[in-house]
Amino acid sequence: MSITRVTQSMMMERSLGGMQMSLARLARTQEQLSTGRVLNRPSDSPTDTTSAMRIRSSISNQAQFVRNAEDGMGWLGQVDNTLTSMTDQVRRARDLALQGANTGAGSTASREALATEVDQIRASLVASANTSYLGRPIFGGITAGTAAYDAAGTYVGTPGSVDRTVAEGVTIRVDVDGNAVFGPAGSSLFDGLTALAADLRSANSTGMRTGIATLNTAMDRITTTLADVGTRYNRLDQAAEAAKSSTLNLTSSLSEIENTDLPRATVDLKMQEVAYQAALSATSRVMQPSLLDFLR
Amino acid sequence: MSGTFGSLNTALTALRYNRVAMDVASSNIANVSTEGYARRRALAETLGASSTPAVWSRSDLAGEGVRASGIDRMTDPFLDIRARREHGNQSYLDVRQNVLERVETGIGEPGDKGVAAALADFRQGWHDLANNPAGGAARSQLLARATTVVESFRAQARNIATESSDQRFTLQAKVGEVNAVASDLASTNESIAAAKLNGTDTGSLMDARDRLSMRLAELTGGVATSRADGGLDVTVNGVPLVTGRDAAQLQISSGVLPSGASDGNPVAFSIVSTSGTTSVPTGMRGEIGAGTDLLNTTLPAYATALDAVAQSFADRVNTLHTAGYDKNGTAGAAFFTFTPGDVAGSLTLALTSPDQVAASSIPGGGLDATTASLLGGTDPAEAAYQQLVNGFGTEVASVKRLALNQQSLTSQVDGSREQVSGVSLDEETLSLLAAQHAYEAASRVISTMDSVLDTLINRTGTTH
Repeated sequence: MSITRVTQSMMMERSLGGMQMSLARLARTQEQLSTGRVLNRPSDSPTDTTSAMRIRSSISNQAQFVRNAEDGMGWLGQVDNTLTSMTDQVRRARDLALQGANTGAGSTASREALATEVDQIRASLVASANTSYLGRPIFGGITAGTAAYDAAGTYVGTPGSVDRTVAEGVTIRVDVDGNAVFGPAGSSLFDGLTALAADLRSANSTGMRTGIATLNTAMDRITTTLADVGTRYNRLDQAAEAAKSSTLNLTSSLSEIENTDLPRATVDLKMQEVAYQAALSATSRVMQPSLLDFLR
Repeated sequence: MSGTFGSLNTALTALRYNRVAMDVASSNIANVSTEGYARRRALAETLGASSTPAVWSRSDLAGEGVRASGIDRMTDPFLDIRARREHGNQSYLDVRQNVLERVETGIGEPGDKGVAAALADFRQGWHDLANNPAGGAARSQLLARATTVVESFRAQARNIATESSDQRFTLQAKVGEVNAVASDLASTNESIAAAKLNGTDTGSLMDARDRLSMRLAELTGGVATSRADGGLDVTVNGVPLVTGRDAAQLQISSGVLPSGASDGNPVAFSIVSTSGTTSVPTGMRGEIGAGTDLLNTTLPAYATALDAVAQSFADRVNTLHTAGYDKNGTAGAAFFTFTPGDVAGSLTLALTSPDQVAASSIPGGGLDATTASLLGGTDPAEAAYQQLVNGFGTEVASVKRLALNQQSLTSQVDGSREQVSGVSLDEETLSLLAAQHAYEAASRVISTMDSVLDTLINRTGTTH
């Protein structure tokens, strides 16, 4: 529609509308700068909002996975230390058994000394098997109690696995079943040591040889478990690293979506400011003169 | 043959006409910023000879002067119709945009304080519990996070409910305004008809008529049609509201109780006139149409979808939780309770003690954490909620765009109307100036005639 007649109020309306639009643009850029975010409400960009929400949820997941994995590494670290020290003690017990078997019919006093040391080692091993991490016995499965073995070396834990979720749908076991590493009830490491001490005292050389075989089997079980624990520890470590690096990536993606591009917003602000000032000064010039200024 | 004083009379008519022209110009200038004022123009008409020639009744005069034949009100009825329609659409979209933006702010997404963040925190709480099933701290933290989830769902449900209730009150107020404006328009119609009969100037009545019908269009999207007697009839979605000097009453027929509460039905309107009650078809425009659509469609749709999200969330947690066993080894109770039909608004944490949280999948009080791990896994409710927020955001963005487009259309039409009806100060100054000069010239004619007659009467044929 062509303009045939221009009136003062028409120009006023138009300048007002134009200035308001310009001011609204200025306010929007200013909001982006002052909040530091381009996404301040879903309608700013519905698609980006969905992405932002998904990424936020993922970041929170990954942070949790890191926490889970680090907690699991604490468990397995404790298991590893305990089993390593137990290996030394079992080796010492085997040496004692060999010594007993070699000397054959040594003096009663010397065999008694060997047997006493085996008893000591056994007590120390039971104590090690009751090692706990954050109040939970690490070989006790899912028991609510504080011990995995009683003083007699009988398993009192509850079989069950302690797992940590380290990625979507990936769980890693962070404990070791006492029965699996120390042998089932009746033929456990502790039972073997009890029998060995008795055999030493009674100079039963056949029993001593059986004891040595039992201790070798126990050593093998512990070493195998140690290797398994090491592997699991590495998996946890890798999972934690992966979760950490994906947290970093996700955070930078989120920032790309949600946060204001500062240089650009600053330039935009400057440009809109200039445009607004131009509109103001043009309006003030256009609105001032009227025919009355030029009539007497 | 011209009479001796003919020219004097002609000058007198010019003086009279130019006085009228100056009156009109000053009235235009006085009303330069009056809303709804259409500029006036004085119409001049030559006073000629008698229009019925006869043998002895003929005139050989050049003319007998001028007279003001009327005062024109510069409007274009078609532009007025267009403007009313665009203003109706504009106010519809404006109200819709305002309300939806308010609701959107209440959602608080994307951010770390909304429902999405609460849901994610709640899941991480289960992971922490799985890491330490015996710990009282992990259990208490989980219950605190569950409370946050409940609160954030309830806050949104409350937002929607508050907005709906505000809209119902607004509708009641606006219906009252419609009826007041309609009755004003009816009495204006009556005055216009009377003024036309007795020949009074109807200009200011017409201004009032246009202003009132515009307000009715903004409120209801009502369509105005001209009457032969100068008035305007208004129909709302085809149902007559104002007919000549009779105004009917717009009423809320269902959906809103007089107390402002909802009666559970969709909002509907009817118009009560002397000839009976007619229900208004759905699809009104204007502010009332926007309020109706929000109350009938948009807000309930969001509330229902939010309820579905809350229900799917609560059902999943309850199902898994009741399959588990709490710290003392007894079977898990329902984690959340809610009233069907208002899930988000009535969601309540049912557990009272941290020991009641079921982390284990094995009865007997062991430290198994399978149930807690399962509850820490992906919850489909989160994706459903993201979808809901996305859908709502898209709707708000689209309304914003529509409102902006409509704004430029409306101001275009307003501009065209202003071109026809607006007062231009320059133009009025000029016509004032022209009338002034014409007035001076006519005065000069009189003084010239005066001196001519003076010569004729006082000096001709006298001797000194």
